[in-house]
Amino acid sequence: MRAAIRGTSLLGAQRWAGSLTLAAAFAACAVSGELGATLLVLFPVALLGAPVLQRHLRGRYDWMWTAFLGLGLVVQAAQVVGGRLDAVLAAAQFAVLLAVHRLWHRRGRRDEHLLLLLSLLLLCAGAALSAELLFGVCFLLYSVVATWALSLTWLRFEIEDARSPEQAAALLHGRRLVTPAVLGALAGLALVGLLGSAAIFIAFPRVTIGGLRRASSAIPIAGLGDQIDLSRHGVIADDPRVVLRVRLDPAPSGVEELPMHWRGRALEVWTGRGWRARADERGGGFWLAALPGLRVAAARRSAAPLIADIEAVSGFSDGIVLTPEGWPTNVSFQRPLAARASATRLVRAANGDLLYAPVEIGDLHYVVRTERAAPALDELRGKGRRYPPEAAASLEVPAEVDARVRDLSQRLAGGKDPVDAAAAVERWLSRSLSYTRELAGEQKDPIAHFLFESRRGHCELFSSAMVVLLRLAGIPARNVTGYYGGVHSSAGYWAVRAGDAHSWVEVYVPGAGFVPFDPTPPSGRGGVDRGAWSGLVLAWDGLAQRWRAFVVDYDLLSQQRTLLQLGRTLREAGRRLSAARPGAPELRAALGQVALGAALLALLAAVWRRVRRRSRPRAARLDPDQRRAQWLWRRARERLERGGVALPPALSPREVIRWTAERRPQAAPAVEQLASAVLAARWGGFELPAGRARELLRELRRRLGSRR
Amino acid sequence: MNRAAAAAFPAARVALPAWRRRLRFTQLGRWYVALTIGIGLAAINTGNNLLFLVLGLLLSSIVVSGLLSETSLRAVRVERRLPASASVGAPALVGLSVRNGKPRAPSVGLALREKGGDTLGQGLLLLLGAGRTEEISYRFTPQRRGLHRFEQLELATRAPFGLFEKSRDLDAPGELVVFPRRVPPPAQEPRQLAREGERSTGRPGQGLEVHALRDHRPGEDVRSIHWRSSARAGKLIGIDREEERRRQVCVVLDHRRASGAALEAAVERAAALFERALDSGADVSLALCGDHLPAGSGERHRLAGLTLLALLEAAAPGAPAPAPESFASVLEVVP
Repeated sequence: MRAAIRGTSLLGAQRWAGSLTLAAAFAACAVSGELGATLLVLFPVALLGAPVLQRHLRGRYDWMWTAFLGLGLVVQAAQVVGGRLDAVLAAAQFAVLLAVHRLWHRRGRRDEHLLLLLSLLLLCAGAALSAELLFGVCFLLYSVVATWALSLTWLRFEIEDARSPEQAAALLHGRRLVTPAVLGALAGLALVGLLGSAAIFIAFPRVTIGGLRRASSAIPIAGLGDQIDLSRHGVIADDPRVVLRVRLDPAPSGVEELPMHWRGRALEVWTGRGWRARADERGGGFWLAALPGLRVAAARRSAAPLIADIEAVSGFSDGIVLTPEGWPTNVSFQRPLAARASATRLVRAANGDLLYAPVEIGDLHYVVRTERAAPALDELRGKGRRYPPEAAASLEVPAEVDARVRDLSQRLAGGKDPVDAAAAVERWLSRSLSYTRELAGEQKDPIAHFLFESRRGHCELFSSAMVVLLRLAGIPARNVTGYYGGVHSSAGYWAVRAGDAHSWVEVYVPGAGFVPFDPTPPSGRGGVDRGAWSGLVLAWDGLAQRWRAFVVDYDLLSQQRTLLQLGRTLREAGRRLSAARPGAPELRAALGQVALGAALLALLAAVWRRVRRRSRPRAARLDPDQRRAQWLWRRARERLERGGVALPPALSPREVIRWTAERRPQAAPAVEQLASAVLAARWGGFELPAGRARELLRELRRRLGSRR
Repeated sequence: MNRAAAAAFPAARVALPAWRRRLRFTQLGRWYVALTIGIGLAAINTGNNLLFLVLGLLLSSIVVSGLLSETSLRAVRVERRLPASASVGAPALVGLSVRNGKPRAPSVGLALREKGGDTLGQGLLLLLGAGRTEEISYRFTPQRRGLHRFEQLELATRAPFGLFEKSRDLDAPGELVVFPRRVPPPAQEPRQLAREGERSTGRPGQGLEVHALRDHRPGEDVRSIHWRSSARAGKLIGIDREEERRRQVCVVLDHRRASGAALEAAVERAAALFERALDSGADVSLALCGDHLPAGSGERHRLAGLTLLALLEAAAPGAPAPAPESFASVLEVVP
């Protein structure tokens, strides 16, 4: 029966595997975002258009290609020498050009091998340019498709070398060699290679020389802005991208979402449409401000330090050190996450904001220690209205303020202690107005519109209204931006997302510094998106964090820890299994149960395979004569074997006749007679009565017994 | 049995020790290893863990490649099957029967090459299932007559990635006598009858011609009764037939002064005459300088005569002249 044809042609599969390998390597390189838009467009077009372009370009315009590549090489080299282009990036870009050229001129063995080697170079360039999890995904993909490409390329050229052109063409274009099972087996081989890769990765000594590192390069920044524009309109979209990964000590317990403000920067200057930061941003020196007196007293009574280990994702921090609630007492920057980052230092702005420099270093890792012990409201009352010069900026009132706003300020804060006034305004706003993510749009006076007309708004309107109301009452207050919240991730950290961006208020109290108040209703603080997409982004971030922790940051210390842990685990396993230890019999019993379970699973798998095999379409049923012919041929082979004629398993009846004639000539006529009867009955539709079969077998035995 | 047939099945069953392997880089393999070393140096230099990851993949691919190629070569047995006869200039098929003795693991991409002998040839087996036997063959066209020795078979594989070629040698000695090139024989008298090689001797025997008539003897084969004469005589008359003897032909080759191309041409003509005389039904003998093949017929005699001619070398000085039988027709080949 003819086997079903279900594979693809070897030639097609080999070419596709080669192209996919190159695509995976290019993607690994492209996730760094440094290749440039031209190459990002050119390569996919070249790859997809290659089958068509090859036919038109083969053997033509070679001089033009050579000139183009030579020119490209010269330009890249000049840029590298001139310091305008990184050497690794230049090499990667030139490798992409070479790959495009080869894709369009793919002829024989040399081209296929060159494409594979170029893909390897691109993968290495990707490793040097990017440390993202996406590189890891591309690496996994590469390991599978490169295994296909290597194996199929080898097979293709082995066939071309060993067979005549006609035979080779038949094999290369046939669909029997490359089946899903073959591709699956090769993928399994890639998995074995990956396991080996992991073992080598863990065990290879991390001794580094440290020369010729890549210089740092600029990374585009976005995120915490230095101003707020209240005239924007539309709907604030929730953004589930992770901004901060935080580990807290002491760790909060029993909560899935963290009720925590992550302070970014203070925006004190009214622009007419919103707020902006002060110009003298960096005038506070390079150290943290001392703890104010009231806070020192509170800390003495009941110290509540909080240590936050923070990873700030590049592109969102914008040079700002985000701090958790409390008064920051220490900030220490950890080893840079990227190999090409330089040392980081802390800068304090005149208004107390914490910044870092240089800004363009990619992801940032730092530990902030804060003192959360704060004085109670009673302790803050009665501290007077003598404010220091740095609070003066927080007293500036917008030039034109709606009279209704002045009246409201008077009604809520007039004649009260500043702290009571702040608490009253906060309470009124959060209870009297409602939260919405819809932006009202262009308004002449957005605060008045929010307070008296729409009475709905987002966190920036709540905080802006409170600041204006307090300033009108002569109380220094300022708008603060940052994030609120944090979702617990399966990777063991709290993830603060871009959608958790928030705005609140700080009020100056003599002796205690700026004290936070949040007028936004609690339901409106932080992100609201808890959907599938948000979950997916969080899961991806968890993976990325693990990738970073276990792969990117794996160093000599980690290696030592891992190997020690491995040794300890093995030792512990041995100890637990030893008979002398209490509890060992239970452990052995548990292991026995696991083994039994595995054996049962194996048995089930075997039964399933058998059932599956039986359920396959079977060959047409044999009639009695055909079955008898089969039986007769099996018995004849056994007799011949016993008679000293060793038969290879694959011999056909006709070959057996010849084989016997050479070794036991006296038995050849009987074998010939028997084989003819078998073939006639099995395939020719002739009858083979049982008596005749026995007679033929007897004759064979007689002939084999004779020693003439 | 001729030498070729005798050498046909000396099985190559010598299992070499597992450590006897030869490893060669392919061109791709050389580049691959060079890149691996380069990436290793770059990883150590920069401490970039992703480069270590790539390095791990490359190194583990090399290890996997080595393990798989070893598995492919292990427990593989090969038998060479030489053709029963071969002539100069005529393609001959040499069979290679390959058996995978491993119970589970298949062997992939097995290349078999002749090594150390007088011939070059190779075959490729893409996949040999566990416990299976497959046959492949290669075509070889002998360029000279005489003895061709086969010594070893090199069993090699580049599987699974084509980066390295691992090989082992299997002892598979064998010999094949290559007969002289088949050329058309020189022109001779036209063939008359299919049985022209047999002729009557004038003595009673078992031939076809009638020698004499006589009375039938009881117990004689009824086929010996001459029925027409019996009918005339009214009694059973028997026939005595004449003995027939095959025509005797002796192919004579005096090669004392021949060498090189002249000798080859003479040997080829002698072989052609020898075969034509055998085909015509005669008993044919060969008379050479210092060697002689008695008259005979049949396939064995043909192989014996062609083998003698295949192994003929230039006559040594002082070698005796050929001595044809006196009663045979002489067909002399002059170099």
